[in-house]
Amino acid sequence: MPKVTINGTEIEVEKGTTILRAAAQAGYEVPHFCYHPALSIPANCRMCLVEVEGSWKLQPSCYSQVSDGMVVNTKSERVIKAQKAVLEFILINHPVDCPICDQAGECKLQDYYMAYDAQESRLRTEKTAKVKVFPIGPEVLYDGERCILCTRCVRFCEEITGTNELTIIQRGDAAEIRPFPGRSLDNPYSVCTADICPVGALTSRDFRFKCRVWLLSSTDSVCTGCSNGCNIHLEHFRNEVQRYRPRFNPDVNDYWMCDAGRLTYKAIHTDRLTRPMSNGAELNWHGVSGTAADKLGRAIEDKGTFGFVVSPQASCEDLFLARRFAKEVLGTERIYVGGNPDGFEDDFLIKADKNPNTRGLQTIFGHEGELRDFGALIDDIESGAVTSLYMMETQIPVATEESARFVSALDKLDLFVLQAQHHGELSTKAHIALPACSHAETEGTFVNFDGIAQEFDRAFAPLGESLPHWQIFMRLARAMNHKLTYTFVHQIRKEMFEDSAATEEASQTPAE
Amino acid sequence: MMVEVLISLVKIFVIVLGFVMAVAGLLTLLGDRKQSSKIQNRVGPNRAKILGIGVLGIPHFLADGLKLVLKENIVPAGANRFLHTLAPVLVLAPALIGWAVIPFMDHYCTGTMQTTAEYTEICVGGEWKNYFSIMHLNAGLLFAFAIAAISVYGAAIAGWASNSKYSLLGGLRSSAQMISYEVSMGLSLAGILLIYGTLDLNEMARMQGYLLWDWLPMWGVVVQPLAFFLFFLAGMAETKRAPFDLPEGESEIVAGYLTEYSTMKFAGMQLAEYAATVFIAALIAVIFLGGWQIPYVYADGIRIFDNHWVPFGEQAWYWISIFLRVHAMIFKILVLVWLQFMMRWTLPRFRYDQVMTLGWKILLPLSIANLFVTALIVTLL
Amino acid sequence: MANVNVKVIDREPQSLWEKSYIPEIIRGLAVTTGHFFRNLNPSKEKRTTFTRNYPEEPTIYPERYRGLHRLMLRDDGQVRCVACMCCSTICPADCIHIEAAEHDDPTIEKYPSVFVIDELRCIVCGLCVEACPCDAIRMDSGVHIPPYGERNEAFYDRDLLMSMGGRSQAVQGGKR
Repeated sequence: MPKVTINGTEIEVEKGTTILRAAAQAGYEVPHFCYHPALSIPANCRMCLVEVEGSWKLQPSCYSQVSDGMVVNTKSERVIKAQKAVLEFILINHPVDCPICDQAGECKLQDYYMAYDAQESRLRTEKTAKVKVFPIGPEVLYDGERCILCTRCVRFCEEITGTNELTIIQRGDAAEIRPFPGRSLDNPYSVCTADICPVGALTSRDFRFKCRVWLLSSTDSVCTGCSNGCNIHLEHFRNEVQRYRPRFNPDVNDYWMCDAGRLTYKAIHTDRLTRPMSNGAELNWHGVSGTAADKLGRAIEDKGTFGFVVSPQASCEDLFLARRFAKEVLGTERIYVGGNPDGFEDDFLIKADKNPNTRGLQTIFGHEGELRDFGALIDDIESGAVTSLYMMETQIPVATEESARFVSALDKLDLFVLQAQHHGELSTKAHIALPACSHAETEGTFVNFDGIAQEFDRAFAPLGESLPHWQIFMRLARAMNHKLTYTFVHQIRKEMFEDSAATEEASQTPAE
Repeated sequence: MMVEVLISLVKIFVIVLGFVMAVAGLLTLLGDRKQSSKIQNRVGPNRAKILGIGVLGIPHFLADGLKLVLKENIVPAGANRFLHTLAPVLVLAPALIGWAVIPFMDHYCTGTMQTTAEYTEICVGGEWKNYFSIMHLNAGLLFAFAIAAISVYGAAIAGWASNSKYSLLGGLRSSAQMISYEVSMGLSLAGILLIYGTLDLNEMARMQGYLLWDWLPMWGVVVQPLAFFLFFLAGMAETKRAPFDLPEGESEIVAGYLTEYSTMKFAGMQLAEYAATVFIAALIAVIFLGGWQIPYVYADGIRIFDNHWVPFGEQAWYWISIFLRVHAMIFKILVLVWLQFMMRWTLPRFRYDQVMTLGWKILLPLSIANLFVTALIVTLL
Repeated sequence: MANVNVKVIDREPQSLWEKSYIPEIIRGLAVTTGHFFRNLNPSKEKRTTFTRNYPEEPTIYPERYRGLHRLMLRDDGQVRCVACMCCSTICPADCIHIEAAEHDDPTIEKYPSVFVIDELRCIVCGLCVEACPCDAIRMDSGVHIPPYGERNEAFYDRDLLMSMGGRSQAVQGGKR
């Protein structure tokens, strides 16, 4: 293991480590634009130059590997001079339109200028005019003037997606990033290029001009677009999600996420059911829990067959309480699985299963006997085997004609209670519709396709009068004189894990 | 008999309503607001207008009156409703009753007036008719004092009946202050009584017509300068106005015994304060500043250095002298009121212990000393 | 109480003349009386009253008085503001609401489609003017915030604010 001295700090690092990484381990930041840990190293921005003793030239620290006994200085006069020179060089043709630029606030050029340069421009001639607002792809816009030609986006398309859409055209101060003729940056991960762009050259069409980044608050969350469960920064302002940004997790999504997943936040703010409804009339929670308890109680007494639809869109904690509610309060064994139907799949991040918590649902209900198919529910309703239905969420995992059958079959039901986020056909059919909140408004756990349980945090208070699923179950149980009492999500989580461990033991014992 | 009653009624109306209430009421506006504004380089109230005319801000005074009449009459919970309502009457009534003995002019003589060598005016071939004071009482000064002392009941009752600690403290302060200053007030006048030898206010004013060495008017302020000063100070303390406005000390006790009062009850209390100011001014004018006397002007002509000169003929001059003297009296009262307001806007408020120290340790010994010295001089002469 | 630091101040000794108060009171009276009569002077110029009869005699505001906001214009009459949100970010009263939109002209790129200032909420601190990088918002209209009958009268929208604006001399986007 080579030993290096960086700014007087001696540190032992693994063989093959670059100086930039070694400096980071020693606690020194080396500024860089083109280097990205997930991409190859072109060493073209020259921002990371450092002084290595014994070498008469400054070395690009992102590329040079350490050797034993190396003495590195990242803050010497020569380095500072070089950094200033590089920044001045980059800024020659940069428009400095930070007030307009969406990147302002999270821009590396802006930060480095303040930290390493902070001098006035010496340019006295006109800046080069380049392409502005160029639609480089359906989701991404390109601004040639702001671009510093670090080629991160080009390398992303080569190395991560392998689609090779982008390249540099022209030379010198006319150089720009462009897609190849006849191509467009339209791969399903294209917005990641806007994420890794260190300046405001590539911007997301969806987030463009929507909110300034310094106003955003960030919450660690998980994307609900598919069962991959990409880790995200859920960024919100004034109780409204503004964008998703991928959060580094080497086990799940690395630095990336797909474009479709980024847009799933829109569902949180469209067609939300914000007040409890009973037969189309808006009620408050106090009133509706009484009505619901009354109707549910009568349905149970009538010995009608109760159907219970659980959703893999809900978190494990919600589903755990759903199980207890179905078993202890409703006393039903007919549990059907809802959720989104399968969709597009690739071999990178996008999974066919479009529900974030299918594995979690299977784990929680796994030992309950059988989980029934949604198709079976439609048949059961039509045959009269199910006369009362309690449904979580509005997603239906069947084709369009089947779902039309389901909707028309709903008229046969004696009682239909829906507990969901969204308005729609189902909520108008529901005798009682209870507003549930999204994953941005409560905390919980999703188990992804790989069996990794991932917690997500609450970003803001539930919208309108909506409540988390688990609290709705508790309310109804209390109204029906059943004991189902928790105060915090982590209490449910603890009990859930204990229960799951016990089940696993029980299921493993006979196998031996 | 009927005629005398009618004359009395006319006098009461003219003096109490026409003079006291008008002057006191207007003073709340002009004296208190306009005068202070001039002193403080402001313009004072000038917004209220009647038909677009806002002369000197006088409509403000009417607007305030209207506002106070229309306000809700509030009696605080737990207050003694009867006494709470009675107190303003007890405050306002004495301030008005005292005016009964204030002479605005010597009695009218149906015969001819003559002035003796002693500068005393006598009525020859006729009798005195009391047309210029409501009531001729030969113990007028005592009456005035007795009545003025009653108003302390009003303040004390107002403080007690309001069921409020601020009011109670205000009432307490007010009674303590008034009793303290009444002592030095009375004693400071004892000297002047020794000299004049009468309690009749009109007689006092008449005696001040004497010219010492034929040119120096022998006004009270000349023979008793210290007593004048003491009486003026004590009188200001009696009226409970700045710098002696501790019973209403806003910074400590909200508004003292006025705290729980609203509507015309409040207005009455405020009016009483102004009426008391005017009343003290009238007393000072009569006792120390010659009352209705104008130097060298007598009912039968102008006299100075033994020269006697009658303009316009005797009877005409008598009427002219009556006119001049009544206005001299009013002028003196107004000047004294103006001076009291001037004091108010010049001096800061005393601390309570300073008020008591001033009353008991300075004014009282000084007035006793003044009495002794006066008695000695009177005995020796 | 033992540890209380007591600072003893020497009192200015008073002479007997001052202790008697009377001459001092007379001096005070002389001052107030002087003011009283000076301000009774029939000639208004010779009075020393400072009060201004406000609606009849409007105040002359100082040059840098902060009045109602106005939005400055470009040479072609369009709004200078590029909706960078710096003003609404710095605003301590949170009274500026901006919604940014894409402009048809790519050289302008971004402009405020909605720009509303709640003048009642505004605390007239002037930080928005300080924060503006484009000389787009100013408070030098010289008009102070008028009284409003209804709450929504105080919401000044973009076009109203622009109608009070003028052309700015500053080069948009700074010198190139």
